[in-house]
Amino acid sequence: MKCYTYEELSVGQSAAFMRAITSEMMQQFRAVSGDNNPLHTCVEFAQTRGFRDRVVYGMLTASLYSCFAGEYIPGENCLLQSVHSDFLHPVFIGDVLCVEGKVAEKNDSVRQVVIKAVIRNQNGKKVSKARIEAGVL
Amino acid sequence: MTKEEILNELQPIFHDVFDDKDFIITNESNAEQVEDWDSLSHIRLVVAIEKHFQIKFAFGELQELKNVGEMIDLIQEKIEVN
Repeated sequence: MKCYTYEELSVGQSAAFMRAITSEMMQQFRAVSGDNNPLHTCVEFAQTRGFRDRVVYGMLTASLYSCFAGEYIPGENCLLQSVHSDFLHPVFIGDVLCVEGKVAEKNDSVRQVVIKAVIRNQNGKKVSKARIEAGVL
Repeated sequence: MTKEEILNELQPIFHDVFDDKDFIITNESNAEQVEDWDSLSHIRLVVAIEKHFQIKFAFGELQELKNVGEMIDLIQEKIEVN
């Protein structure tokens, strides 16, 4: 885990990590969220709606933004304030996602960094993008 | 820029931050009177004000202010220094 101070962070600073999506993650997210929507839990249902497999919860994908802020930038000193995320393309079990983020703005008076982040699948397709606001403790 | 002009320019910033077009600010408005004026809204307000007026506050400088009127005084000071 990184541990940047506010002063150590700079606009343009970036980080990235990879994460494979598994069926166990889907089960765990279902248990935590209580979201039993068949688009995420039933292959046959998802296929009748035009998807090749059940669709990974968008918020499971978005949870990787929490990991980005809490583990990478700012890391240990992070106080997550907001994540505005768009889900651009479906994610499926087995996809290997690459999460990349860059410091776009520093607001000294409130010790806040604004991070622009994107998540791409193994084919380079952008599946999500986000604006993350994080305080630095 | 006069205090009244600053107040008029602050009004749409408050509308945006609080997502409430009916919210009318006065010199006496403060965080205690406005339910949604929480710490996160305050951060957004500070950042939006800095960008709009092209000024910079020091870390924690706005914490001491009692109401919008005092905020306007500080904004006016910063604009004059610029």
